[in-house]
Amino acid sequence: MRISKEALEHYHQGACTPAERKAVEEWLLSTSADDLLLPPGEDKYVHKAEMWNNIRSVTDETETTKSKSSSYYVWKGAIAASMVICMLAAAAYFLLQQKVELLSLNNNSAYAVKQVNSIGYDVSVGPNTIASINDGRGIIYLNGSVLILANKDVQLVLEGTKTKISLKKGQSYIIFKNKTGSESIIVVNKQDVFDLPPLMQRQITKHFDI
Amino acid sequence: MKHSSWYKAIVGGKLFILIAVAVLSACSTGNKDASDAKFSLYILGKNNKTYVVHTSNLDSGSIKPEVYGTEITQNYKGRDLIVRNANYYRLNAKTHLFSKFKVLPGEVEVESSFLLKNFSIECFKWIKGDTLLLTGLNAPAYNTPKFVLLNAATMKVISHGNLDIPRPSGEFTTLSIGLLEQRSGNSLLLGYTYHVSQDINNFKTSDTMYVSELNYPSMKLVKTHKDIRSTYPGGQNVIQPYSFKDEKQDLYFMSCPGIALGNRPELPTAIFRIKATQAETDKSYFFNISGSSIKNHAYGMWYLGQRQVIIRSERADLFKGLNDHYRTPHFEFHVLNLDTKEIKKLDLPLDKGTRKECVIVQGNIAYIAINSPKKGCYIWEYNIKTGSLKRGLQLSGETDFILRIDKLYDQKK
Repeated sequence: MRISKEALEHYHQGACTPAERKAVEEWLLSTSADDLLLPPGEDKYVHKAEMWNNIRSVTDETETTKSKSSSYYVWKGAIAASMVICMLAAAAYFLLQQKVELLSLNNNSAYAVKQVNSIGYDVSVGPNTIASINDGRGIIYLNGSVLILANKDVQLVLEGTKTKISLKKGQSYIIFKNKTGSESIIVVNKQDVFDLPPLMQRQITKHFDI
Repeated sequence: MKHSSWYKAIVGGKLFILIAVAVLSACSTGNKDASDAKFSLYILGKNNKTYVVHTSNLDSGSIKPEVYGTEITQNYKGRDLIVRNANYYRLNAKTHLFSKFKVLPGEVEVESSFLLKNFSIECFKWIKGDTLLLTGLNAPAYNTPKFVLLNAATMKVISHGNLDIPRPSGEFTTLSIGLLEQRSGNSLLLGYTYHVSQDINNFKTSDTMYVSELNYPSMKLVKTHKDIRSTYPGGQNVIQPYSFKDEKQDLYFMSCPGIALGNRPELPTAIFRIKATQAETDKSYFFNISGSSIKNHAYGMWYLGQRQVIIRSERADLFKGLNDHYRTPHFEFHVLNLDTKEIKKLDLPLDKGTRKECVIVQGNIAYIAINSPKKGCYIWEYNIKTGSLKRGLQLSGETDFILRIDKLYDQKK
């Protein structure tokens, strides 16, 4: 079966008659490989050579592009290295933050008060006190006494209990573990200290110099 | 009708003057015009500021302390005060200055101060005229009972030294002196008890209270008597009163073993008597408040006359412990008959504040300062004769606690 170039063009343009359409489709579905009919005066081998040249030129362009991408790889490597550095820095920052959030408040002295100032709190740690604040988890551990000034509104939970301790920004609180009463912990605003039992007041004013 | 601009200016000017006069006359009812004031009110504000308000009237009206009162500056702040003849006396524990000052419109005017180091006041007593006796402990050790006798008019110390009562010994490390009274002539009575106190969070009070008779002015011990029916006699009377002498000069005092003072809650709050001719507690007299229908501990006692007293008792069912003892309104007032032991609960809003000087007796009226978060801060009038109650002066604005009400002058009754 021979199909002319014009017939194929008409088929693609949707302009062929039903008979032409049928002929083209039968030709497309057939396994025979008849040569296309070239216009008169045109050489099949010239077309073949042009086609190979075109293919070669496309191949050469691809190779050229590949040879230009060496700088691209340099940049790609630099970006990848930067990303790794950023990730390491983020990890380090996170670890450092974790360190700040866990505020250790230990004072082994039997008499002296120890000052601890951090981003979130200014704390006077009473004698013989072991304490810590985990800001991330919102937990305070306390065995002893502290005078604490919070630099933000914060609510902490006493470790191992459901007791919540609310601190208001800019206000000072005396917090201590109570051994004499049924309450496990006493939290009192500094300005209310003088309504605690006088025996407690004496020790608080002596320890924290208020 | 068309008004010219000068007419409008005159009307506008008049309006301004009218408003200014109204504002100024409103202000003039404040401390600025309190020369005839009879009462002093010590206010702790919601803004954490402290004010003293002077007024001649507790019966009606409304006062904003931030408008009407004088703000008390840091050096003179503290309700542990002695008030007499419009003068205020206070020991500053930080500067160690014992000062005499007046509260004027907008300022505190210090008349005189002297250094009183290593001393912490527990009780005071006007001995005679301007002679003021202070008893207390050596600060910050709190293990030696001391006294200072001074002339409050000249602010000169007459004498000072140690009180001749036993220092804490054995397991005891400190003591509290909660009762100071003068007997006829040359004798003083001191009531006290001992404690074990080694840290903020741990103290224990002895189960025994002591009353010692001392010679005045030598301060030498005459005799000491024990009583084991309760403990922690009285308390710091610069903050709240716990004792009085009746018409027969019999001395009555309250013991305070509740958690806010002695912290021996298993022992009863009770009223004790020391007869005028005696120097020890009357073993035949014991008014057990905790064991009565009140069924709670109490702190503070004011004599109304005619055998009646007002006491201020806590409500253990309304607070959890020391954390909320101060800010929870749970205090009730009761009128007790010292002889019949009849108890009458006053129909007042629940009051807040662990310790307060909150009752003034003036003729037949007892003025009672109440801080109720729901029903407001008012001075209530209790008619001692009729038993009726009436709401009087309101403390509004920034008022959070009325920590003291005092008569400015003893003689104006």
